Amino acid sequence: MVDTTKNTQIYSTWGRKMAKPVNPNVAGKVISKAKRPLLVVGSEILMDEKLVEKTISIAKKGIPVAATGHSITALMNKGIDAKYINVHSLATFLGDAKWGGLDGQGSYDTILFLGHKKYYLDQVLSGLKNFTDLKTLAIERHFMQNATLSFGNLRPEVHLDALDEFIDNI
Amino acid sequence: MSDIPNGLFSIDELENVQITIGKIVGAIEQKAKEEGVEVGPTPKPGISALRDWDYKLLSRYKPVYTPVCDQCCYCTFGKCDLTGNKEGACGINMEAHQARETLLRVITGAAAHSGHGRHILHHLIGLYGRDKPIDVGPSNLLAPNTQAVTGIRPETLGDLEEVMDYVEEQLTQLLATIHAGQEGAAIDFESKILHGGMLDHVGMEVSDIAQISCMGMPKSDPEAPLVEIGMGCIDSSKPVLVVIGHNVAGVTNIMDYIQDHGLEDKMELAGLCCTAIDMTRYQTDRGGKPHAKVIGTLAKELKMIRSGVPDVIVVDEQCVRADVLDEAKKLSIPVITTNEKIMYGLRNRSADRPQDIIDDLSSFKEPGALILDFDVLGQVAPELTLKMSKIRDEMGIKALPSDEDLKELSTKCVMCAACEMDCPDNLPIMEAMKAGVDGDFSKFEYLHDKCIACGRCDQACPKDIPILNMIEQASQKLIREEKGLMRAGRGQISDPEIREEGVNLVLGTTPGIIAMVGCSNYPDGTKDLYRVADEMLKRNYIVVISGCSAMDLGMYKDEDGETLYEKYPAKFLAGNLINVGSCVSNSHITGTAIKVAAIFAQRQVSGNYEEIADYITNRIGAVGVAWGAYSQKASSIASGCNRLGIPVVVGPHGSKYRRALIGKPYNEEDWKVYDARDGSEMPIPSSPEFLLTTAESIEELLPMLAKNCIRPSDNNMGRMIKLTHYMELSQKYLGHMPADWYKFVRTETDLPLAKREDLLKILEKDHGWEIDWKRKKILSGPSMKSDVSAQPTNVKRLCKGEC
Ligand code: SF4
Ligand code: SF4
Ligand code: SF4
Repeated sequence: MVDTTKNTQIYSTWGRKMAKPVNPNVAGKVISKAKRPLLVVGSEILMDEKLVEKTISIAKKGIPVAATGHSITALMNKGIDAKYINVHSLATFLGDAKWGGLDGQGSYDTILFLGHKKYYLDQVLSGLKNFTDLKTLAIERHFMQNATLSFGNLRPEVHLDALDEFIDNI
Repeated sequence: MSDIPNGLFSIDELENVQITIGKIVGAIEQKAKEEGVEVGPTPKPGISALRDWDYKLLSRYKPVYTPVCDQCCYCTFGKCDLTGNKEGACGINMEAHQARETLLRVITGAAAHSGHGRHILHHLIGLYGRDKPIDVGPSNLLAPNTQAVTGIRPETLGDLEEVMDYVEEQLTQLLATIHAGQEGAAIDFESKILHGGMLDHVGMEVSDIAQISCMGMPKSDPEAPLVEIGMGCIDSSKPVLVVIGHNVAGVTNIMDYIQDHGLEDKMELAGLCCTAIDMTRYQTDRGGKPHAKVIGTLAKELKMIRSGVPDVIVVDEQCVRADVLDEAKKLSIPVITTNEKIMYGLRNRSADRPQDIIDDLSSFKEPGALILDFDVLGQVAPELTLKMSKIRDEMGIKALPSDEDLKELSTKCVMCAACEMDCPDNLPIMEAMKAGVDGDFSKFEYLHDKCIACGRCDQACPKDIPILNMIEQASQKLIREEKGLMRAGRGQISDPEIREEGVNLVLGTTPGIIAMVGCSNYPDGTKDLYRVADEMLKRNYIVVISGCSAMDLGMYKDEDGETLYEKYPAKFLAGNLINVGSCVSNSHITGTAIKVAAIFAQRQVSGNYEEIADYITNRIGAVGVAWGAYSQKASSIASGCNRLGIPVVVGPHGSKYRRALIGKPYNEEDWKVYDARDGSEMPIPSSPEFLLTTAESIEELLPMLAKNCIRPSDNNMGRMIKLTHYMELSQKYLGHMPADWYKFVRTETDLPLAKREDLLKILEKDHGWEIDWKRKKILSGPSMKSDVSAQPTNVKRLCKGEC
């Protein structure tokens, strides 16, 4: 079992309400229980083929994917439901009850993040934390203090193991 | 209204008493009347004068806040935790506080430009007098931002003083609203942000037109000379004088001294940041060749200092690292500060004899000097450089670690990851250290271009490993090859150029203007800029560039060994690449849009900001890109563009500006305007989709640029061209047709000819549109009509029968 909760040193934004560090098995269960989860995937997955594989495995569990940046280039024709959207727009729309979602089926309740630049995602999460009631879950290599739940700061190889365990628990 | 004119007059009975009449209420209107110019409803607008216009923009483009800090510590009631939009002790909530924070940044940026403007104007009036005519090239509309905002049509340097008075007064009013217990509504902070941005463009314009008029800088010249750029173009065997900053006033005295004393071949004069750009514009308007070289952007500052190459450093203002003196001291490089904004605790030597200053600094009695007298500066800086070069040679200054040291330093690393976690881009430093142990330094070389030379890794390392110096030493070969060319800043786009190209811009047959501005805080190195500009230029967009972006663009060459400045001409025509100049030249980008409205469309410009902004919003397909924006100035520049309806995309680091303006394409009611012919409502395409947003990568950015150049006024040919680029760029960089392409189709003639049939099939099959296949016409489906004579406007009073 990978412990992803040890290092929660903060490097970017600051606030009193902070993410709860979470282990992969618990994170997997949170997603399993979500009514309408969304996996938001950033372009950083393109730096590592293994991250692309893990992304596809998560999506194959039936979770729709919002592909931000140019991550969509690795996710097309893979038998998953992935659509391109800009992450700043997405975060804005997520907080709007009138938005129909990427598929017109309505809004989401639990948002999962993978493959983003640390500083960029932290800003996106800051908006969601302060202005929406959404549950956000960061399964990144870095502790994302503005998420509801987050892995801690991890080395790349530990991160990949953690993702495997996460996938097994969905 | 009074009949007393501005100026000096004496009262006979009161001998020796002179009264100066500076401004008279209604003076702008009176002068305009005498000149036969009409003045619009808002000359010199106060904070509330354009509020209605701002509200219109903000109702479509909603502020999106992403706090960097969830607390407020502005006053002693605090710290207040505002998480979740809670209120602080003074009653302000998170939204309003974030808007207030943004306003503070915007007016800080505007104050930096305007402070620069006031300084250089004062300096130039001292040299040339108030009556010195403004001369910016073959234009009648000399100062489009100034005229649209203030109603003043400046003709002389003296006229610009009143413009600066206005800007400064308004900035003070805006600053006052930051105080605790002032504005409480986010929306009104937002309006103030737009006001501050607008003022910024006036302040920048004053700075640049004053220096263009007096300093022999290129005047709307497409043939402005090419300038050497890059760390590799500095001949370090000669004495090297490096200047850093943004205000070229004092540096011109140095340049004159070097020329007058025949020192040009005996030493190197090179610059970092916008002072460098303006040095290369100095005295080049009559075919003169540039008298200085450009090293590069802020991201090269620490690298250049730590290379030990400079013999003397002169700094002026803005974007100068706070540790220049400390860093320089370590390498026995004297530092001269020349502007009250940066004095580094140095003794004021302005009134001292140049020789005494040279003696004191060259004997290291003092590490540097503050010299505010530019004649003294002009002599001291070059003479000290010549002297220091010999002294430093004899001292055998060792700046960077040797190759042998690199290996040893790598072994000191304990792989704690502190550096990587603190690095703003989380660069893979540990991998480089790992390879370095085996004598492989290629991974340090890989870091060189991506590293913005902030030095945070050095500060973080528990083993005191000089990481940045290691990167620089390992990259010496790359650095030697860093040689490029940049076209010197040409200043404004001239009136005749606007007359020629305006129609193509408004109809969309020139697909758009991409304005690449801002700083060097890139997410992934400098080459991204080159890729973006080259792609858009190939597609016939006009690329306008300035400041740090203009420098970095010149660093790369194509397979034929040409930089983009050599490859593409610099006229204001489709497929041209224009460097307008330094940071303050950004005002010429908004100025161009204002000129299209004023000259091509003959809209009244003086004091008529709203109508001009409305015209630009609906008709001019321009998008700003500040891919490496880091500064407060970049946020004020963007806000000034935004008030004119010009959207701006910043790179991912720009998310730390903590606020964006993003539209909702799915909210149909947001995408409607009036047709000024009869005041009826007309639907418009959801473009631009935002006024300020971020993109994650340039692959995402490129299709965004094409899409957000679409405007309601496009004719069929124009829409077809824009749509083609949007679809092609999405396919090329995102691998698929954009999901929303069909929303921009009004008739079959908006579709690219070669793909028309296929696209019609998709429209029928996927979107249920009705097609007449015999005539290949769309019968039903589009949500808007194609009508080139429609007059889209957001402002009801501009509709027929409304006024
Ligand atoms: S300004 Fe208001 S929110 Fe900020 S510290 Fe003071 S009381 Fe608190
Ligand atoms: S100096 Fe370069 S490597 Fe070091 S923290 Fe800054 S960007 Fe990262
Ligand atoms: S901070 Fe220093 S010791 Fe730690 S990994 Fe970086 S270079 Fe090595």
